[in-house]
Amino acid sequence: MMMFTKHVFKDLSAYCNGELAPEQSQRVREHLLACGRCRKEYDEIKLGVNLAKQLPLVSAPAQMWSEIEELLDERSRKPGFEAKVPRFAFAFSWYRLAAVSAVLVVAAVIGFIWFSNYGPRAAWTVDVIAGSAQIDGDRIGDKGSLAVGETLETGNSSKAKVTVAMIGEVVLDPNTLVRLVQTRMTEHRLALDRGRIYAKISAPPRLFFVNTPSAEAIDLGCEYTLEVDEAGRTLLHVTDGWVALMRDGREVWVPRYAMCESWPGIGPGTPYFEDASETFVRLLERFDFENGGDDVFKALLAEARERDTFTLWHLLSRVDGDQRVKVLDRMIELVGLPKGITREGTLRLDQDTLDAWKDEMDTVWF
Amino acid sequence: MERLAIMTDRQTEAEIIEACKQGDRDAFRELFETHKDRVYTIAFHYSGNEAMAHDVTQQVFLKLFTSINQFHENSQFTTWLYRIVANACTDEHRKRRRFVPFSPEIEVRTMVGKSSQEETYHRRQVADSVRGAIGELTPKLRLPILLKYVEGLSYDEIAESLGISIGTVSSRLNRGHKMLARKLGHLRGEFASGE
Repeated sequence: MMMFTKHVFKDLSAYCNGELAPEQSQRVREHLLACGRCRKEYDEIKLGVNLAKQLPLVSAPAQMWSEIEELLDERSRKPGFEAKVPRFAFAFSWYRLAAVSAVLVVAAVIGFIWFSNYGPRAAWTVDVIAGSAQIDGDRIGDKGSLAVGETLETGNSSKAKVTVAMIGEVVLDPNTLVRLVQTRMTEHRLALDRGRIYAKISAPPRLFFVNTPSAEAIDLGCEYTLEVDEAGRTLLHVTDGWVALMRDGREVWVPRYAMCESWPGIGPGTPYFEDASETFVRLLERFDFENGGDDVFKALLAEARERDTFTLWHLLSRVDGDQRVKVLDRMIELVGLPKGITREGTLRLDQDTLDAWKDEMDTVWF
Repeated sequence: MERLAIMTDRQTEAEIIEACKQGDRDAFRELFETHKDRVYTIAFHYSGNEAMAHDVTQQVFLKLFTSINQFHENSQFTTWLYRIVANACTDEHRKRRRFVPFSPEIEVRTMVGKSSQEETYHRRQVADSVRGAIGELTPKLRLPILLKYVEGLSYDEIAESLGISIGTVSSRLNRGHKMLARKLGHLRGEFASGE
């Protein structure tokens, strides 16, 4: 007779690494013989284990000990009895003159950089990577300068890179139209009217913004692509860090490896991971933007994988009543109810409970 | 075993640590030589960056030597050491994350035994792919993998080093293994035999 035992997903790495007690190991072994789903998971984890074992040992640089010894000596050295130079001697020395000059030069350089990046006539440098580009309708050579209020447009097979003040860069794909809206110390803002950009920003959060016809993308320290189609729909794909997509007070935080759409008149939809199935993404789109009914909702939940609990977690606060209960039930079905989290708290959308879900799911989502 | 073999016959780890506490520079050197490559390897695979690996390794040993008196014999030296390593990696990553991208293309000075040129090249290619894939994991998933496969720590030791529960170690490794397998599924054939 077939025995149904609890799935052993969670124990598989420990099983592969010989970390389980003999009786647990035996239980996993027996379960694997009977359960195709766990066996499939086991094959995947076993491959991961084998791959991780290929990590090479790297030798530390040979001179490292002498450097450490030097640092240790420096720390243990007591102050000596060097003759102290009287303060007034320094006051009239050429050292002081050199130091003051250096400070002035540095201040002048900083002032120049600040003025050219944030001053009233600040402009961003444009480098044409391929083909040709136009600023305000005028074709530019290999380089150009984009000032506030001006547009930059790439042709059919053109690409251009824009240096965003001193905080990063934006690359425009072919057939892309952007406009520099604002550049100052506290805000750098671009409008993407059409096409696709790739942005890589190294700055504190909420310093770089991109307006699209259906949303505003707010940099929270990241790397991402943003695409706007002819209908003004926006597709955000984050490759590193976080980006917030906002419209009419609704803000969705999208982490790396995740994507999110936003449609004109509706705003941002529910984010999903880049490896979600096409069916799942299409169902989500119908649910978010095309008034997908109960059938779409049911199909969406059924199509969700363990990692799609990320999307379901977001859905919790987008739906209510019976639908919220169904979302939660599906999450529990996929990943269980984490210890310390209650159904009641989740259904009430208690912020601490939702945060606890997010913490618990960290390793499943990322 | 390898780690113990590196230790000289005349001194056990406990004796070396005791000598370090007395300020014996030779004992420091011995401790450094015993652990430097693994510490460096973890920092290197964690950051994908030689400069950061260099800085982290330096910081780890400086911290180790200046706070060796805080180490108590009733705890395990490796977990203490790797707690310092984990903290140093995390701190350095936090400091630099906006500026230093992971560089999977770096040439590494690996410690491989003798083998044919073709075999070495092939092994290096696989190792490079693994290194790149590990660099794409989140730091939370990366550290347990490195502690497990570079240092060979047990789940207990990883949990103690990272200050997390064994269950969390297990789930992070599970997730890490699965992500590696998904990213490098095309290398499945490499391990088909011998399983």
